[in-house]
Amino acid sequence: MERINDHPILGKKTQRDSVNFSFNGKPMAGYRGEPIAAALLAAGIRTLRKHEESGNSRGIYCAIGHCMECRLQVQGKGIVRSCLTPLEEGMQISEGLQLPNEITGRKRP
Amino acid sequence: MSRQSQNSDLMIVGAGPAGLSAAIVASGNGLKVTVIDEFLEPGGRMLGQFHEEHGRWWVGKRIAEQLIETCGKQGVSIRCGLSVYGLLKSDGLWEVSTSEGRLSAPRVLLATGAAEVPVPADGWTLPGVMSIGAAQVMSNVHYVKPGNRGLIIGMNVLGMAIARELSVSGVSLAGIVLPPAGTFAGSSALPKECLRLLMGLSHLAPSPVLRLGGRVAGALGMAGLVSKFFPRRGIKLWDIPLMLRTAAIRINGTDRVESVTLADVNGAGEILPGSEREVPVDFVALAGGLYPLAELAAVAGCPFLYTPELGGHLPFHSERMQTPVEGLFVAGNITGVESALVAMAQGRLAGASISHEAGAYGVDGERHVADAVEEVHRVRSSALIQFHPDIPEVRKKIYQLWQATYQAGG
Amino acid sequence: MNSPSMFVCRCEEVTLTQLEEAYESGCHTSRQLKMKTRATMGACQGRVCRHLLETWTHSRNPDAPRDSELLSVRPPIRPITFGQLAKGEA
Repeated sequence: MERINDHPILGKKTQRDSVNFSFNGKPMAGYRGEPIAAALLAAGIRTLRKHEESGNSRGIYCAIGHCMECRLQVQGKGIVRSCLTPLEEGMQISEGLQLPNEITGRKRP
Repeated sequence: MSRQSQNSDLMIVGAGPAGLSAAIVASGNGLKVTVIDEFLEPGGRMLGQFHEEHGRWWVGKRIAEQLIETCGKQGVSIRCGLSVYGLLKSDGLWEVSTSEGRLSAPRVLLATGAAEVPVPADGWTLPGVMSIGAAQVMSNVHYVKPGNRGLIIGMNVLGMAIARELSVSGVSLAGIVLPPAGTFAGSSALPKECLRLLMGLSHLAPSPVLRLGGRVAGALGMAGLVSKFFPRRGIKLWDIPLMLRTAAIRINGTDRVESVTLADVNGAGEILPGSEREVPVDFVALAGGLYPLAELAAVAGCPFLYTPELGGHLPFHSERMQTPVEGLFVAGNITGVESALVAMAQGRLAGASISHEAGAYGVDGERHVADAVEEVHRVRSSALIQFHPDIPEVRKKIYQLWQATYQAGG
Repeated sequence: MNSPSMFVCRCEEVTLTQLEEAYESGCHTSRQLKMKTRATMGACQGRVCRHLLETWTHSRNPDAPRDSELLSVRPPIRPITFGQLAKGEA
């Protein structure tokens, strides 16, 4: 999605460093310190996670840490809320995965 | 015996308008204050809020910057990116469990704000469907548009205010439509109810609603007539089609939002046969309103009151922002959903109340607290954004109940 | 109208049909419905759907109590790792 570079009311962001990261192995770029979810949205990524049981695609829902829908994997950090986790140089990020039934332990109706 | 050292005189959870305002008053009175917030930067939801007021822009971010600057000058420690997951009283001290370890203080102020009430529609778990607050944060705080073209479902104060912000930010919107009728939407799916609400919002909307107001006012009492006055395509409010006789039926897509099926409805919210059509959009923002986010009050053992006018379940509190739990205070939207200006006044009141309880005012304490109570009343009665017309009345009842419960005979 | 297959609880993917079935089986308060279906018991701890579950319950059973304790809140109220938990208790 398009970034807003000069907001008509709020103005420009203070200078931010560009950083490289990967999502599901694919190289991408974003700004240091912005939430991972924002960087992925700017890169056009909507699906951040597959529902653990059904495998349904999920993305940003609340963007402020309440809903947990945007959780995904960051190498070395484990599962994080991408809306609250600042992007860092070289982060290896991958979407939250559907789990085998032996792990979720529940039969779906 | 506790080995815990006391980190601060006051621990504030939430660095929004209420928390920062309280921090300024308390630190100004000599208290050592720490403010914790889960978000990446302080300011709370003010960071993304702006609206036009008497021809000028009210910009929440600027207000937040001023509050943060004053906090800095007064030695308030603001710690962001820290999640509070528990709150427990031990040996007269609050133990605040955070993602970066345990902190402690004799007094805690909960200024955790509000969370959003969802507007569920078929397909609402698809990527690209988000709460309207998420669209606001992505656009106005992180400077990334939530999509190329979106639709807003739900007509209320929050939705209209953010719709305006998105439009100003250059986000393309196909319109604002009613939610699907049924159990969850209730009266918010009825054109007449929404129109009544919009009339109360006329200060936010420049010309269109005001102009419409005169024509429609007379029809408000007559059920079913509203749709006659409203063109099928809606009226343009700012640049956004406000479609008061159109409801979202379902959100379509396989792995992401591709379109929304809309249909025209009559005054009772019933679908008019043959009126269904699809609007292509790549994001949907759900505007269902707000409710007090009060989990920490519950965990700390505070009793709750159910007050629908203020957003639902809220921690029982006095007019001075105390809770029945010793050393636990509340301010801002956790006490009921109102505007940022009211939250700031409540924060200042909580700061005064806490300073008084800590003995920081000396003999003048009562007067400082009484003045701060008065200021909350003043700000509330002059607030441009009224979330619910009955707020002053229900607040009065809560404070009377407090008096009857905790101060009778005492 | 919301279709019977619509999810009410996003985290646990609980549908309107599941709520209906639970209600028919005798779950008439939000707490009973939660226990039977797991609605509000997922990763968001009910922050998203608690209001929906209460609204639905009251549409079915207007006499159901409006008690916040029915859908009780328990710590930890935010996701933390065992490491953080251990650090906090140390």
